[in-house]
Amino acid sequence: MTGQAFIALLPELISTGFLILVLMVGVFSDSNVGISASLAAIGTLAVFASAAVLLASGFSGSFFGDGFVVDGFALYFKLIVAGSAFFAVLAAARWADQTGDAPEYLTLILSVVLGSTLLVSMRDLFGIFLAIELATIPSYAMVAFDRSRRESAEGGMKYLITGVIASSVLLYGIVLIYGVSGSAMLSDVADTFTGTLTPVAVLGLVLMVSGFAFKLSAAPFHFWTPDAYQGAPTSAAAFLSVGPKAATFAILLRILLEGMPGAAPTWTAVMAFLAIITMFVGNLFALRQRNVRRMLAYSSVAHSGYILAAFAALQGGGVAFAVQAVLIYTAAYAVMNMGAFLVIDLVGEDAKSFNGLVRTNPGVAASMALFMAALVGIPPLSGFFGKLWIIIAGAPTGSILVYIVVGALVVNTVLSVPYYFGIIRNMLFEEPTTDTVTSKGSGAVRFSVYVLAVLTTLFGLLIIPLSALVGASGLA
Amino acid sequence: MITTVTIFTPLLGAILVMLLPDEERLLRYTALGVAAVPVLLSVYLYFAFGDDLGVAALSQDVTWIRSLNIGYRVGLDGLGFGMFFLSTFLTVIAILASWDVRRNLKQYFAAIFVAEVGMLGVFAAQDLILFYIFFEITLIPMYLLVGVWGDENRRPAAIKFFIYTFLGSTVMLAGFLAFGILADTYAMDALGGGGGLSRTAQIAVAAPILFGLLVKVPAVPLHSWLLDVYVSSPTSTNVLLSGVLPKLGTYGLIAVAIPLLPQGVEPFLPYVAAFGVINIIYGSFVAFMQPDLKALVAYSSIGTLGFILLGAASGNAVGLNGAVFQQVSHGLYSALLFILVGVVAARTGTRRIEDLGGLAARMPWAGGLLALGALAAMGLPGLAVFVSEFMSIMGVYATFPVQGVLAALGIILSAMYLLYMLARVIFGPIERPAYDEVGDAGPAEMAAVVPLAVLLVVLGIFPALLINVQRPAVDAVLSAIGGS
Repeated sequence: MTGQAFIALLPELISTGFLILVLMVGVFSDSNVGISASLAAIGTLAVFASAAVLLASGFSGSFFGDGFVVDGFALYFKLIVAGSAFFAVLAAARWADQTGDAPEYLTLILSVVLGSTLLVSMRDLFGIFLAIELATIPSYAMVAFDRSRRESAEGGMKYLITGVIASSVLLYGIVLIYGVSGSAMLSDVADTFTGTLTPVAVLGLVLMVSGFAFKLSAAPFHFWTPDAYQGAPTSAAAFLSVGPKAATFAILLRILLEGMPGAAPTWTAVMAFLAIITMFVGNLFALRQRNVRRMLAYSSVAHSGYILAAFAALQGGGVAFAVQAVLIYTAAYAVMNMGAFLVIDLVGEDAKSFNGLVRTNPGVAASMALFMAALVGIPPLSGFFGKLWIIIAGAPTGSILVYIVVGALVVNTVLSVPYYFGIIRNMLFEEPTTDTVTSKGSGAVRFSVYVLAVLTTLFGLLIIPLSALVGASGLA
Repeated sequence: MITTVTIFTPLLGAILVMLLPDEERLLRYTALGVAAVPVLLSVYLYFAFGDDLGVAALSQDVTWIRSLNIGYRVGLDGLGFGMFFLSTFLTVIAILASWDVRRNLKQYFAAIFVAEVGMLGVFAAQDLILFYIFFEITLIPMYLLVGVWGDENRRPAAIKFFIYTFLGSTVMLAGFLAFGILADTYAMDALGGGGGLSRTAQIAVAAPILFGLLVKVPAVPLHSWLLDVYVSSPTSTNVLLSGVLPKLGTYGLIAVAIPLLPQGVEPFLPYVAAFGVINIIYGSFVAFMQPDLKALVAYSSIGTLGFILLGAASGNAVGLNGAVFQQVSHGLYSALLFILVGVVAARTGTRRIEDLGGLAARMPWAGGLLALGALAAMGLPGLAVFVSEFMSIMGVYATFPVQGVLAALGIILSAMYLLYMLARVIFGPIERPAYDEVGDAGPAEMAAVVPLAVLLVVLGIFPALLINVQRPAVDAVLSAIGGS
């Protein structure tokens, strides 16, 4: 391994190192939560820092026979993955302590980080598949980890079964694409996927996209999401819904733009339909939920739909803006959704437990109100910028289908107001119930919630410039 | 720079009141003191720059998002200055009039201050996206002001308000984005006259923008969110809700839609004028039938907003000046009436018109000022509303005679229901023995209403005080639309 390649792999090497360290703590020490949690937190921060340094120094290049690429785009998503993992570790520490298996759980988080950071740098379809599995397999265990609740095992089981089916569909699609192109490298695939596609190529493309749709909980492949997120430990749901998901969106973007630019008319149409169905399904089901965790699960389906809308705009004059829309939306969603899940960790998952929160715990209530308003997309909070960029990307495409998608996005934004504001209403207008728990959760979670609330509020000043800096650098 | 300072001073006020100890007197005086700062700053602006608001000292242009050409661009002109001043002024009045707010006073003042940031920002924004962001910043504080501190019907009212106006402004944003993308900038000064768009493109862009603005006003078929919100709000929220918020819509019409999309708006103008007439006539008829004094004032307020739409649609100097002026005079008189309704309701314990009567004998000051407000609302000469309504009708008559005549008819209708209301509420014999004990408005209440009454009279006698400031900007709008 050359020096350059070593530097390129720095975030992955760091997460591997800490993964082993945290696992060793579990083996050699009994009262271990403090050490393992600090190590895991430091590990995620170190991954974040290494990616940030690489990004700031403008490092880029292709390694290992062109199969592993480091560019601004990949590093940006490594930041999202590591950043969200950091908050997940903070949220997990105290809970994992009670289960007595803290090091094991934290190891799972770190291996998801490893898989996701590898994933965004892959340029070879089989490498992509392996990285996805490296990120997904530990996540099954994370979802099922809470042995004290039956829902956890149930959610984990459903997630495992659908996840395995999704992986096989994905792999089948990849194999067909490989068969058609004779190579798994994206640059070679691009030569085959131009002009009129052969039926086998179309089948491969559709199967691969369906596999991704499962992973991204896009309708009609979303049905595992509510059960998995409701059952999972809060830190797992919070992390899996933002970090690995952002990475999966990133690699899908890379595959489509680098591997199949010639087939754009086909896949943008597929994305447009997926986006419309996903938005409506997510929001309409979320409206009916009384359990906040389940509501956020459907909300995450809806937000996958919004991000897929940006994919539909990857054509004509919209490409550069659409790529930026994905960059901005995934980061915006990471801060606001992570925050909302962590508040659940503090308050509880029943909508009633939010009653009167503004009186019992004004700071957390104000943060939750910010997250909810941001999820609706109210300016100047983070979610607004994501939607802004999608609409901007849609305009210059000149495609009627994309205009319909953008129209559906506007309609869905308004449709989503009642359920997000239902939480705000409960916090403000209802009398506190006796079971409103305020002392639950650690100071670390509280701290994370406040940090995320600030990031959500100042998103326009802090993260927009960063994403503008990254732009579409590195993407073909 | 001074504009930016004025816009964001209330934000500091919001943080300050949140940090203070929970003591009522301290909170009220601090809030009042902070709210006075933007008033003083805008009075200073009036005297220092009143002749020429376009100077560089008042504007600021910082690029924010380079790839989209979105910037923090603010500045003042004659179209926005009147409302900019009125927003600062009515915030002080709202804080004075907040006697009926007893719980969570801190949060109440903080919400008012955040709303003030949004309102001031809208009247100073020179960038479409910034305009939209400030427009929406008012939304959450207003939702809270109604939803937390309103009466028993507040929750459905607040959520209805939020969903309606959010839908309207989201559609408006879509229009702004389409405009900015086609013209490749969001800076208003670069977009004058259509930003190089064809007539068809302008029409397509103008339609969603007008829809969003008219929901905010609200123009009558789009007004169904309004009554519950107005009636459920605490008095001091009403001051801002009727005095400033509708003007976010009308100001957008006069300062954004018309000058930036002249050809796109033009085919809609007869309808805008027709909406104005419908507002006036519908508002008058429905006000006539209201059993509740506050609902009557609410519909009266919707009605007289129609004159702003009329003047804006006229496309000539008289009408536009009238519309810009009417924004201010409408704010003054509706704030006055809402506060007095609050005083009457607090003293007598009811707002039902049939239960009231003969109040002039027991509360001469409040009753007299209520009469003054009602006379202002019906356009009595010598008061500010007369000047602006008269100019709007004159202006629109020259362009759309039918609408002009109907609007003049509306003035008669408004005189009818307002005089009828006065007859039942403050004149006549005292209806109930209990009212013998009723006292007049107290010092705090008088402090809130007297300045409004004074300004109504002063601007009614010396309209040039405001018209001189707004004229250059109105002329600029006229040259953008190619009118005279």
